[in-house]
Amino acid sequence: MRRKRMLSFVAIAITAILLLLPGCGKKEEKPAEETKPVEQELSGVVKLSGSTTVLPLVQEAASRFMDENPEVDVEVQGGGSSVGITQVKEGVVDIGMSSRDLKSEENDGSLVDHKIALDIIAIVVHPEVNVSSLTSDQVKAIFTGQIKKWSEVGGSGGDIVVVVRDKASGTREMFDEKALGSSKDAPVEPVASAIECNSNGMVRETVASTKNSIGYLSIGYLDESVKTVKYNDVEPVLEEAKAGKYTLSRYLRLFTKGTPTGAAKAFIEYVMGDEFQRAVVSKDYIPIYEL
Amino acid sequence: MHRRSGRLFGENRLGAPDPHLFLYDLREMGISRSVRLSRIVKTPDNFVKCALFICSSLTVFFVFLVIVFILSSSVPALKELGFKNVFFSTKWSPNVSAPLKGNYGILAFLNGTILTTIGALILGAPLGVGTAVFIDEYAPVWLKGLVFRGVEIIAGIPSVVIGWFGLTLLVPMIAEITNTSGYGMFAASLVLALMVVPTITTLSFEALQAVPEDIHDASVALGATRWQTVSRVLLPASLRGIAAAVILGMCRAIGETMAVQMVIGNARQLTFNPLTRTSTLTTRIVTDMGESHGVFRSALFAQGLVLLIFSAVLIIIVRAALKGRALSQ
Repeated sequence: MRRKRMLSFVAIAITAILLLLPGCGKKEEKPAEETKPVEQELSGVVKLSGSTTVLPLVQEAASRFMDENPEVDVEVQGGGSSVGITQVKEGVVDIGMSSRDLKSEENDGSLVDHKIALDIIAIVVHPEVNVSSLTSDQVKAIFTGQIKKWSEVGGSGGDIVVVVRDKASGTREMFDEKALGSSKDAPVEPVASAIECNSNGMVRETVASTKNSIGYLSIGYLDESVKTVKYNDVEPVLEEAKAGKYTLSRYLRLFTKGTPTGAAKAFIEYVMGDEFQRAVVSKDYIPIYEL
Repeated sequence: MHRRSGRLFGENRLGAPDPHLFLYDLREMGISRSVRLSRIVKTPDNFVKCALFICSSLTVFFVFLVIVFILSSSVPALKELGFKNVFFSTKWSPNVSAPLKGNYGILAFLNGTILTTIGALILGAPLGVGTAVFIDEYAPVWLKGLVFRGVEIIAGIPSVVIGWFGLTLLVPMIAEITNTSGYGMFAASLVLALMVVPTITTLSFEALQAVPEDIHDASVALGATRWQTVSRVLLPASLRGIAAAVILGMCRAIGETMAVQMVIGNARQLTFNPLTRTSTLTTRIVTDMGESHGVFRSALFAQGLVLLIFSAVLIIIVRAALKGRALSQ
């Protein structure tokens, strides 16, 4: 019996140690990160914070960049565009990530804007829906559930099936903001019967296979399986977005305080470089070499 | 006296392993003049015992760890938001950048889980039990094997494949017939019914097999027809076992995620209409876990906690049912 107890104790202890070790490591890192004095770019540390939309791109860039430059340490945190812009101004981080332009009250001329990708969202419907253009008001009414039938917007057919992205998605965030008029203080949710999908591909699949459905996609995902709808009579194409006519679009940006130098400069150049743009950015967004 | 007629290598006539016979059999084969009983039997035995003991204590430890983790992860939501706002609210509107500003009522998904599971059992339990009775009582031997293999194959199909089948075949069919989008609890229950049938069939069959042959024979000898025997003797006698089978099927239905997510429509609304889109606890977790943090994440874990409680309660009921069966026999 005693032997048995010993054995189980040893087994549990070993597992516990194995499981807890990585956890402890992480915990110790975090406070150190916060209390460290702000290091300038020459030290080989690049700190970023800001938009959670830009975050996955930058995280991917960071891990690739650090593989190529092992002496540089890139630290990335979320927090939202506003946090990124505030922190880069205050010098807490070297680069602020943002999915929107500076607001007038934020723009004091100290920040340099680096556009790293263009995000354009197209509104798509099931191929059999005979509506080819929607106004912004109609889109808002459809996605918030005030308009429930296609006949109300000039089409024929039954109840509209709304398809949206999941809550964590940057595409959803931008759509809610720009098309539904959602803001931090007055959030607007899509209709509760909306189908939530975890990816652009899943939205396309669902819209393509569900009659009377409507959804939205990053334009990199458009194909013949779904029908694209004009928004305020404007086609969701690159030229219109660049001209500012198609409003469901935004640049993903990195802001620096003044012209970047050292490691921060190298990192931004890496993110904007053809290799990274082609391999990663072009999967979800319009890469800058196409602009 | 040790001749091996009528027994297997190393075993006595009753089929129990016997070290002395084992040694004897080895000698018979001319291998073992130098082999000692203690070496063959005791050393590996102790070693295996230790290894197995470590395995089992690890398992128990992991279960313990999971429970503690889920409990501790769901505490923030219950503390910050309040029990009522989580379990008795249907308003689910998470806020990713400022989690505390969102609403995290899971009642709609709780409702979805319970109703789809009940639906799956209404469709699947008669099918499963019926198949088991058929195999046990009616089927000729060749068909028995065929049906069994079929059930095993269904059990082996990955849930994502069944879900995809549901998405591309069932949902459009339901949409066509009912003139709705086709997504909803009905589609989910259909898919789940298919998935619980193997569990219910296999376990019900075992329950039926466990009914002593004498009872069955007595019924037949009294002139009862097959159906009378099944309905008045076999089913009542194996009722507890069949109940356990159905409940274990229920566990499967409650926990299933992938297949359900593909056909239920992933909406946030509370509904009692089987043709309306909604979510279950599992599908909500997988839809929203992406980049959740703070109370948002914790509210998802609270849903996990509910699932854990469900399965614990069901397991306890199964144990009680089976224990009762053992006593009644």
